Amino acid sequence: MAQVLVVDDSSTVRNEVCDFLKANGLQVASAVDGKDGLDKLKSDPAIKLVVSDVNMPNMDGLTMAEKIRGDLKNNAVNIIMLTTENSPSMKERGKAAGIKGWIVKPFNGAAVIGSLKKLVA
Amino acid sequence: MQNEKQLVSKVLVLDEDRTHADSLKAFCEECALIGIRPQQGGTANVMAILKSNVDLGGILLYENYGGQAATGLQLAREIHARRPELPIFLRRDSVSSVAGFAEKDAAMFRCAYTLADLQQLRATLDSSIFSRIYPNDLVRGITEMTRASLATLFRNCEVDVETPYLVKDRIIYGEVFTLVAIESNWCRGYMMLQAAEEAVLGLLRREPGKGEENITFRDLNSVLGEATNLIWGSFKNRYAGQLENKDATQLTQVPIIINHQRRYISFGSEDAQLCLKYTLRQKDCPDALPVPIFQRFVFNLNWSPDEFKENPSVESLVDSGELELF
Repeated sequence: MAQVLVVDDSSTVRNEVCDFLKANGLQVASAVDGKDGLDKLKSDPAIKLVVSDVNMPNMDGLTMAEKIRGDLKNNAVNIIMLTTENSPSMKERGKAAGIKGWIVKPFNGAAVIGSLKKLVA
Repeated sequence: MQNEKQLVSKVLVLDEDRTHADSLKAFCEECALIGIRPQQGGTANVMAILKSNVDLGGILLYENYGGQAATGLQLAREIHARRPELPIFLRRDSVSSVAGFAEKDAAMFRCAYTLADLQQLRATLDSSIFSRIYPNDLVRGITEMTRASLATLFRNCEVDVETPYLVKDRIIYGEVFTLVAIESNWCRGYMMLQAAEEAVLGLLRREPGKGEENITFRDLNSVLGEATNLIWGSFKNRYAGQLENKDATQLTQVPIIINHQRRYISFGSEDAQLCLKYTLRQKDCPDALPVPIFQRFVFNLNWSPDEFKENPSVESLVDSGELELF
């Protein structure tokens, strides 16, 4: 049972974010792409927050977010994108998919941990 | 167009004539060339340099290099056979042409010149090495964003960068390289990062919190992949305009050729590539060997620097790493 699902194809980023969140008292699961993220979310109803990259193989993060709201009809989970992307059009697509927020990489845990904890409360 | 400052390029100087060394050196400085001379003459030595990773823009060769008439010509044949992408500029004693050479031999040289006619050489250098202009703001921005990305991933290291330079050779450095496509409305091509595996693994094993025995080449792959991702993301946010009205299926592509045995990669373009060498030094171990990472930009599919500009929205962006709530 995890509270946060970290979705990123880079093991470097996955490990960094997961380790940081665990060190801050959160229970964390991880997935390697959007498709894997959907599977993990389906199998673990306790997940309250998804922190996801955008550009990933097999299924990108925005498509995953759209499927979470559409196919899974899960409007309860909070979704944050953690990505190098910063284009307004991508953010608009994210907003339309019900994404809660956007973090431009690199990950700065100290700057966002307070907000992330509120999103899993 | 932004301000344009000419980049430097390294040339291998195969010219033993000490009486003209000063004038050749002054000419190189005037032309933004960094001259590299072999420690020892001889074909084997020259070929050993060409096998190493010197990142050359070209070769200045004296026709009698090696001390005898025609030894320079023989050396040129061997260089051209091994590294045909490197332009060879031939210094002759009497005539500024390849007159007297067989057609096949003449084709090896980008030009022939004499010391009395260096302007001809200069014009050919400009057209063959310095033909492509890289805006100063772009080069500075690339170094800034790359240093920041590397510093994020190698927290225990200082990251320095050498003067950017232009290269014509296509030799791959080290054992691992990453490649990412760069797409915008003013440039299209690739960015490469190249590194030696064991040296970078050594850095990763010394990063705080990393178990030395648990770090493998897969961790190295992942870190260099993420460095590439961060740099391309920064580049895109800062410089890349959108590819408007262009269907991805209509965009041109050319084959990329990699020859592992020769450590050779070709993108099909003859233009000089922008090359930057970053050096990572461990903060807590000043005696450790510095670790180089080479970065190359190959804009082989489109290069329109007149349309280069920073994205206007860059100043209003939320700082990297901070959460922008919707």
